[in-house]
Amino acid sequence: MNTKLKVSKVSKIYPGCIANDNVSLNFESGKIYALLGENGAGKSTLVKILSGVINPDEGQIFLNNKLLKLTSPKDAKNNNIGMVFQHFNLFETLTVFENLSIDSEKNNNQLRILVNNILKKYNFKIDLDVPILNLSAGQKQKVEIVRCLIRNPKVLIMDEPTSVLTEQETEDLFLSLKKFSKEGILIIYITHKLKEVLSLCDEVAVMRKGKVVSISRTIDEKLSSLANKMIGEKLEKIKKVTSNNLNREEILKVSRLNFNSDDPYEVNLMDINFTLNKGECLGIAGISGNGQNELFQILSGETLSNNGSIKFRSKEISKLNPKERREYLMAFSPEDRISQAAVPSLKIYENVALNNFKTSNFFERGLFNERKIKDHSKKILSNFSINTDNVNLKSQFLSGGNLQKLILGRELITSPELLICFNPTWGLDVGAINYIHQTLIKINEQGKSIILISTDNDELLQLSDRISVINRGKLSKIMSAEEVNPEKLGLLMGGGLVD
Amino acid sequence: MNIDINFLGVLIGAIMASSVPLILAASGELITERSGVLNLGVEGMMIIGAISGFALMIITDNLFLAIIGSMLSGLLLSFIFGFLTQSLLTNHVATGLALTIFGIGLSAMIGKDFVGIPGKEFPLLFVNLKEAIPLFGPIFFGHSIVFYFAFLLPFGTNYFLKKTKIGLIVRAVGDSPVSAANQGINVLLVRYCCILYGGAMCGLGGAYLSLIYTPQWIENMTAGRGWIALALVVFATWSPLKVLVGAIIFGGITILQLHMQAMGIRIPVQFLSALPYIMTIVVLVIISRDSRKIKLNTPTSLGQIFYKEK
Repeated sequence: MNTKLKVSKVSKIYPGCIANDNVSLNFESGKIYALLGENGAGKSTLVKILSGVINPDEGQIFLNNKLLKLTSPKDAKNNNIGMVFQHFNLFETLTVFENLSIDSEKNNNQLRILVNNILKKYNFKIDLDVPILNLSAGQKQKVEIVRCLIRNPKVLIMDEPTSVLTEQETEDLFLSLKKFSKEGILIIYITHKLKEVLSLCDEVAVMRKGKVVSISRTIDEKLSSLANKMIGEKLEKIKKVTSNNLNREEILKVSRLNFNSDDPYEVNLMDINFTLNKGECLGIAGISGNGQNELFQILSGETLSNNGSIKFRSKEISKLNPKERREYLMAFSPEDRISQAAVPSLKIYENVALNNFKTSNFFERGLFNERKIKDHSKKILSNFSINTDNVNLKSQFLSGGNLQKLILGRELITSPELLICFNPTWGLDVGAINYIHQTLIKINEQGKSIILISTDNDELLQLSDRISVINRGKLSKIMSAEEVNPEKLGLLMGGGLVD
Repeated sequence: MNIDINFLGVLIGAIMASSVPLILAASGELITERSGVLNLGVEGMMIIGAISGFALMIITDNLFLAIIGSMLSGLLLSFIFGFLTQSLLTNHVATGLALTIFGIGLSAMIGKDFVGIPGKEFPLLFVNLKEAIPLFGPIFFGHSIVFYFAFLLPFGTNYFLKKTKIGLIVRAVGDSPVSAANQGINVLLVRYCCILYGGAMCGLGGAYLSLIYTPQWIENMTAGRGWIALALVVFATWSPLKVLVGAIIFGGITILQLHMQAMGIRIPVQFLSALPYIMTIVVLVIISRDSRKIKLNTPTSLGQIFYKEK
């Protein structure tokens, strides 16, 4: 059956910001639609309106020419509109099955059969009886998708679904989405990734500052044309020039590092060896959940390895905690901005003060030197072009990109010798990614070293001097960036051997 | 020393009876906390339950009405808490503390005229079996209906949370109210219900003290049991069956140390009085060490204010 969804003149105004300005769009089943825009362009607001989470100030939504009243997420569900949010709406402490059963009217046995059928049909591999907190991001997303599929959706809305996925997972997702589309589900795909629009979608609507600025068929578009529409200005492509400093000074040496976890859902690390030189960027690729988390935690000192050594400028640091490691001028930018790197409910300057390098003297005789911290924070805000100058703003009101800039700024402004970052551009828009990449290249040029753990292969190839792949807790041979290409990376990430 | 087997039975029965108010209040609070709401007003709701139960019994001469009334008054007090924290978005901790202070003051005011009035005998069940079976008779029989209810409650609570749909929804709301709201769950309704249920159970726990355990009204007669109930919930890592274990240990050591004091054992009285608190916490910490289980049982959103996006 044909499904038509019509968004008619929808507006949503927040104090000081028009999130959606007279948005009108038409969708029809059989096609995959892209809704493209930078963070803050109003995509998420529109999506929340379509899923009933928030109510529009003006405008209507029609499904098959019937006016919809979407006052709560229940209404959207009852009208067969399924929604996969960018930030998962899962209950971390409940099991996969409990998460699925919570809004299903079916009894547990029926539901289990249904879910198993869906898992088999789309070749999803998920254990139904483990708590969500033990799943990788890709698996969590599959749980979200399954939750929608249980209800036989007519419309499936995906909000930036690939921001947490690896390339392989992304390909799998695209195959599934194309399958869904063939089966007659209308798919609306929200993203800021241009490539995905071109490879997946049939039509694309571009949003900028709350307005729809263009609607077109993707076959009429190119990467550059979409990028220009999205940003409204021209963007330069960056690629690092690998410097061939002959007189290389070794800054970090990791040898025979092992980590065995008590938690069966953590990955054990086996015999990790690598060295890092001054001014170099070492990229670590891999499918998420192959030990990146554990490696980051061991390098940053959040957890300690069972044996092996980490030497920073020939000094053994493997038994030091993160604070002590920071005193050696190491800096860390963890994967999860919101729960690991910053405290969202604290003000900007308070978050800056959290990371107290010995050199910054934020505290005098145990007291908070508010002025000093605020001055310091202002410097970060302007140096890293964060779009506010109010250091008293709560960090939760910063967009993802700005929060990441703040975190990097906080880590970098004290000029560390070594920065270890984990998925630094996770979920950010093109502008912010570009800025962060430029920043990382700049600090390499200043002779600082970087370990970049990332699931984004483009990013790794752009920024790294040498690359290794982590697979099931083991590092592959370390290769120079020139001898690596995406295919080779893909093979290694899947556990294949490359000679 | 020759221990009479019947004395042992009576002693264990007494220990179990003394843990009843803790089990009731802690089980109620456990449900409240599982939905992500931290109500520190347990002591206040218990004492209000105690005085309103006693007062209703004196006025109406009807024990059934007294029990129902005590639960309603606990519920009413928790409604104030719910309205403040859920609808007016006040801080859970401060509001709960205020509720306790309010409850203690209010109960003293209402209770002025009831001090010194003797209570009424509460009907006990299976009294003839109590005498008939040695050891087990006095442990299991000859207790009030509230006693049996209290000992079934943790099992019921456990079943409710683990096996029922509504229990699942309560846990989901406690885990992430935002996700729950996005799933179309009425978070406010769930939390209100859990708060009111917790209030009713605390009221019943208080009434057990003033109607059954020591049938009379004494000002401040809950004597900190509400705080112990709160601590039990946390140290039992939100597991109903561990709450039961904790409550019995606390009740047991309270009674035992009284006997030890009476026997004149040469241990400082202060130490003996402190013993129940210390031992309960030690035992619960030891049996709840599994960090994975703690992570899974702890309501992630506990004490956080939730407001709906519009």
